[in-house]
Amino acid sequence: MSTLGDIVVLIKPALNPEMIRSLPDGGVDFDNIPLKLSDIDRNAIEEANRLKELLKGKIYSITISTWGPIAKRDKDIKMAIQEGLAKGVDEAILLEDDSITPGDQITTASAIVSILNKFNIKPDIILTGEATIDGFSGQVAGRVAAKLNLPYISFARKIDLNGNKVIAERDLEDYVEVVETQLPAVISVTREINSPKPPTLIQIRMASKKPQHVVKLSDLTNVAMPKKKLAEAKVLSVKRKQTMIEGKSLEEVADKLIEILEQEGVLKH
Amino acid sequence: MVDVLVVVQKEADASELLTIAKKVGEPVALTYGNSEIEKLTKYFNKVYRIKEDDPNSIFFAIKTLYEKLNPKLVVGMSSKNLKDAYSRLAGIYDLPLATDIFDFNVSGSKVTYKRSFLSGRAIETEEVTMPLLLLVSPRKTQKSEGNSNGSIEELSIGNSSNVVIKERKEKVKGGVNLEAAEFIISVGRGFKNKDDLKLAFDLAELAGAQIGCSRPIAADLKWLTEDHWVGLSGKKVAPKVYLMFGISGAPQHLAGITDAKTVIAVNNDKTAPIFKNADYGIVADLYQFIPILTKKLKERH
Ligand SMILES: Cc1cc2nc3c(=O)[nH]c(=O)nc-3n(C[C@H](O)[C@H](O)[C@H](O)COP(=O)(O)OP(=O)(O)OC[C@H]3O[C@@H](n4cnc5c(N)ncnc54)[C@H](O)[C@@H]3O)c2cc1C
Ligand SMILES: Nc1ncnc2c1ncn2[C@@H]1O[C@H](COP(=O)(O)O)[C@@H](O)[C@H]1O
Repeated sequence: MSTLGDIVVLIKPALNPEMIRSLPDGGVDFDNIPLKLSDIDRNAIEEANRLKELLKGKIYSITISTWGPIAKRDKDIKMAIQEGLAKGVDEAILLEDDSITPGDQITTASAIVSILNKFNIKPDIILTGEATIDGFSGQVAGRVAAKLNLPYISFARKIDLNGNKVIAERDLEDYVEVVETQLPAVISVTREINSPKPPTLIQIRMASKKPQHVVKLSDLTNVAMPKKKLAEAKVLSVKRKQTMIEGKSLEEVADKLIEILEQEGVLKH
Repeated sequence: MVDVLVVVQKEADASELLTIAKKVGEPVALTYGNSEIEKLTKYFNKVYRIKEDDPNSIFFAIKTLYEKLNPKLVVGMSSKNLKDAYSRLAGIYDLPLATDIFDFNVSGSKVTYKRSFLSGRAIETEEVTMPLLLLVSPRKTQKSEGNSNGSIEELSIGNSSNVVIKERKEKVKGGVNLEAAEFIISVGRGFKNKDDLKLAFDLAELAGAQIGCSRPIAADLKWLTEDHWVGLSGKKVAPKVYLMFGISGAPQHLAGITDAKTVIAVNNDKTAPIFKNADYGIVADLYQFIPILTKKLKERH
């Protein structure tokens, strides 16, 4: 049983969906969409801070860059990592290598395990987001847990520690499940677990003094190459009419709206 | 020779998953927990069953069958517990896994499928070689008729689960079924108090609509139960009319209404992004407008 009380939080610089750009043919203009720290990973960082007070260890963040080219993305990637450091991560590790971009979850999970081995980190808890805002696939945590042969608790919206035990609430479609397991464990969290606030200026300034390690693929062993190919990505264009309903009074507007509802056949007679 | 392992509980899901399985080859099924097992035997020649329904046990069962049968494809309907179970098997064997997919196609050992991408703002097509694991978006695949008369085999996984279930608490529900609703009236942060939602509920009752909401209303404020929540992390809906009051039009909300036929937005900010994503827009204060609309509808009766 490890007793260092360390926590690892997995954080991904993801394509920012709010800044989506389209090519003339409707394809996603990947090169011009910036990266940002995936939203739900912020919740994972926040939870790491809370648990650190009980476990008394260090918080490491691990990041596998999945979108290239690295030279172009480096600034965004470092910003995402910096945000983690500003919000309580003590030490950050980053794998940057153009030979694994665009990456997939097979590569990501195997690289995370490889980094844990290389840096000899034996965390009590590995925290992740339930899914990333770009791929929204929800599978990296389970992969890492299986590779490390650790218990896995997914979709946690509440985590309690009691000595060597974790008690968590899993947020499922129809019910909430209270589960218990022994540390060390891998836990993915939902956005509902806490409400992270953006870092303050002082926190950001302090962050630059914290240790950061950048590794390349050649520094690691047993990293699996991507198997999924992104054949095409199209910006979803749901064309809406964008007609404004106007009138001299709200009464007139209401009449026009009722007329539309009637045409659509949704009003009971 | 088995080509596909289908993990399934309900007949409705089986009829869609069979369509996908048949594109690859001969399927068998694994079912778990409280399932419609007798009905499943219509779709598959063999149905393996475990009593348990937690992701750890499902994972052990899939792993056992994967190792025994060596299927090219392991498929199921997307759900949180199956995402959990599938991701573990994928991790052990470094198999590709994709969740929430649709438009599945096979050519030789190559597979393509589509999925929502960038928080619902794009659609991606991925290309992968089998073997692989897939979790499918419900209600996007044609149904197949089942004409098998399959046998049932109990599968013993010798439960070595390291995650113990202490309790299950049913979620409180608001009694809505948004996925089936033809008319949805949806409420957002434009409402200042929980009590004010009565405006929308009265209107909905009169108009025969069901009430939906944006994430903050269900998740942060908890004014409504989660079955009202529409969007990327909530329900995906396809009504004839989606009428929203006080919702700004964040992409994660829009991700839930791409299949709505007609989208109507009422917002007091004429620059609100929702107006670019609506068929009809009304710039008005919902506190003034809803009572007028309700009154007019009453008069109509
Ligand atoms: C990973 C992730 C997943 C998410 N999943 C979802 C999801 O599933 N569903 C979802 O909805 N969101 C989701 N969100 C959150 C989303 O980004 C937005 O924060 C949310 O949709 C905003 O809700 P809103 O429109 O009700 O509130 P706001 O954005 O605060 O908008 C309120 C609107 O009300 C208008 N208003 C104010 N007063 C009045 C008035 N008196 N009359 C009329 N109009 C008024 C304002 O002009 C404003 O446009 C997700 C976010 C992330 C990062
Ligand atoms: N490239 C990555 N680097 C670090 N962590 C990641 C990466 N991709 C995914 N994760 C973690 O796994 C979670 C789920 O991601 P996904 O399975 O891709 O939806 C994320 O919220 C992160 O915590």
